[in-house]
Amino acid sequence: MAQLLARTADRLYWGARYIERAEDTARVVRAYNELVVDYPSQEMLRWEPLAALAGSDTSVYVPPSDPAGEITVVRFLLADRANPGSIVSTVAMARENLRTTREVMPREAWQAVNQLSHYVDATASGAVERQLRDRFLVRVVEISRRLDGILESTMTRSNEFRMLRLGRLLERADMTTRVLGVAAAGILELETASRGERSIDQVRWMSVLRSVSALQMYQRAVRGPIDGLSVVRFLLSYSAFPRSVQGCLDDIRGVLSQLPDPEVVLEVLDETQRALSASDPDVGRGVELDRAMEATQAAIVRLDRAIRDRYVASVV
Amino acid sequence: MDELIAESGAPRPVAAALLQLIDRIGEDELRSRQRIAERDILTMGITFTVYSDGQNIDRAWPFDIIPRVIDGSEWDGIASGLSQRLRAINMFIDDLYNDQRVIADGVFPADLLAASVNYRPQLRGIHPKHGVWAHISGTDLVRDDDGRMYVLEDNLRVPSGVSYVIENRGVAKRAFAELFQRQRIRPVDGYTDELNRLLTSLAPDGVADPQLAVLTPGIFNSAYFEHSFLAERMGAELVEGADLVVGGDECVYMKTIGGLERVDVIYRRIDDLFLDPESFLPDSMLGVPGLMRAWKAGNVGLANAPGAGVADDKVVYAWVPDIIRYYLGEEPLIANVPTYRTMYDDERRFVLDNIGDLVIKPANESGGYGIVIGNRATRDELDRAAAAIEADPRNWVAQPILSLSTVPTLVDEGIEPRHVDLRPFVLTSDRSYVTPGGLTRVALPKDSLIVNSSQGGGSKDTWIIDGMYGSGPA
Repeated sequence: MAQLLARTADRLYWGARYIERAEDTARVVRAYNELVVDYPSQEMLRWEPLAALAGSDTSVYVPPSDPAGEITVVRFLLADRANPGSIVSTVAMARENLRTTREVMPREAWQAVNQLSHYVDATASGAVERQLRDRFLVRVVEISRRLDGILESTMTRSNEFRMLRLGRLLERADMTTRVLGVAAAGILELETASRGERSIDQVRWMSVLRSVSALQMYQRAVRGPIDGLSVVRFLLSYSAFPRSVQGCLDDIRGVLSQLPDPEVVLEVLDETQRALSASDPDVGRGVELDRAMEATQAAIVRLDRAIRDRYVASVV
Repeated sequence: MDELIAESGAPRPVAAALLQLIDRIGEDELRSRQRIAERDILTMGITFTVYSDGQNIDRAWPFDIIPRVIDGSEWDGIASGLSQRLRAINMFIDDLYNDQRVIADGVFPADLLAASVNYRPQLRGIHPKHGVWAHISGTDLVRDDDGRMYVLEDNLRVPSGVSYVIENRGVAKRAFAELFQRQRIRPVDGYTDELNRLLTSLAPDGVADPQLAVLTPGIFNSAYFEHSFLAERMGAELVEGADLVVGGDECVYMKTIGGLERVDVIYRRIDDLFLDPESFLPDSMLGVPGLMRAWKAGNVGLANAPGAGVADDKVVYAWVPDIIRYYLGEEPLIANVPTYRTMYDDERRFVLDNIGDLVIKPANESGGYGIVIGNRATRDELDRAAAAIEADPRNWVAQPILSLSTVPTLVDEGIEPRHVDLRPFVLTSDRSYVTPGGLTRVALPKDSLIVNSSQGGGSKDTWIIDGMYGSGPA
């Protein structure tokens, strides 16, 4: 079999990242949705912290007609084409990238991408309304999972497959840190409101776990009531859980070791690993959790850069 | 005439089973099958790209569920005619780039070659493998009222549409499963294997397991879907010009994540002027500098060979029957449409006197652009066409207006006859292969003769039928 074209490697990597981004965004919004329903009714849970998924400095304008920011933020994350991280935008980018790699992917896989794109285009705006929202989000996750299943069960373990895996894993690690960043923003908001609502802490952390589909696995691994510190440690370091940052880094290491000449990237991966191990934030304080996540994200960005330099840009 | 229904209104024998089925299931069920087919096309991502309003739009491929059917024995005759035509055309191209016997013998006028925009003098003296230049062609056929098939055009440069032949079949098989069960319909899937075999045969000497690549101008090209499809089906790499580089050893390499890797055969879907900025258009961004050097040195196979377009010109077309007689000593098995060459005074006078009854075609446009249909044009359009002919007589030909045959088609108004043409694909190397059938294109608006998908045309599956399975009545 021929070696993988550098251009194709780039498109596969980005295509997979965008799909994972769409899936993870859907998971996070879904979990927040559930949190809203569970929340004590005298409290108004605001949606703005969720906008931080698109980056911690994101701000959205919420009109007075939308007091909780719900419609504004959900539209921003699901259906806003001007937001490059929204589900419509990331799915469109995924399709644009993977449309140029059809010849190396199983046909069924391309059809799943295509199906996702048609579905999202037709449905995203309507899904801003609560009534249709959950069904939409579930469907996005399902099609993305089906795509992974197709690749897992029908694609040769080639470098093409490995670039898709790398894209998925890197984005997944990044999104887990973003979810923790959102939690930090939420804690910050509570602190500012200085209401010290410790009673709802547990509900909030439960929601964080749900955002990365980790609640059940967390409970099997960690005994006792849910507390912030062990949630953060679980999502960062519990390597047996595949959506934890550590789990993603381990898998990235495994994939890299099978790609040609990965040494330079492995060195950067070691740095990322050190940055992750060094972060053990005090989760009671929003500022500190936020800062720790920023640092971890920065390390992941450097890893992404190294992957691209090695497998795309540096090629003759 | 209609391909499926005789003048008497009765189904033609070859279409009997199909029309009986349509009759039995009724229009509602047919429409529901059409909708399912369209959904299949959408989810399978069968698309073509149109350029409009400054944007490239990836559109679902237009498909009409009612197929065109042709009897197997008639098709065998057409297929022989196509192989004959392409054999002769290839000998002609090879001759033009080498001894030019055809000119010396007075069969083909020298000034015509001198004026050709598709002749590449820098390729003089090259003799590619098998003597073949146009390996892949997509010949357009039409059937006139007299019931005969005519060659309308030889597309020898980068003809497209074959991927839709194969995809249309996939959709049609699901839409009319019961007919495929009962009738012997020739499969079309073999094309990509034949193409693979052909490309492999063009590998440089001594290369046992050649690396094939399909060279595309990129995602914005209208036929990008097809480029990707062919690469996928052949296990070839799909490359853009920027993915390739010619080394100091005059070999072609592609840039992979493991470094440079040799490419042995390129199926290029880029027009030859853009192939190599060193040899042709210096500012081409699509091509590969040095590709011609590598090809001339025998280090890479190219299909179609650059320069093959010299025989794909609506003026040269008029000489093809003579070309067949000259090189093969045979009579053409498929006729040309009678063609008036306005470069000759007497033929030009005839054309100008009868311009309202003729189709006027520019020599080097494709996709139906620039064509003036005499009986549908305004006085003003005819005057402009006449002036253009007088200004540049070498660049025009004229033909009688054929009445293209029709096939029943599912349109908003119901099931109605619509005009069609047919593009079979011919592979030529040390042997010939003709797709069973080809791409049937249909003009969807009533009475329209414009079948191009870029201008509102649709497509149909084409069935070559060899009778029924078993011994029951048809």
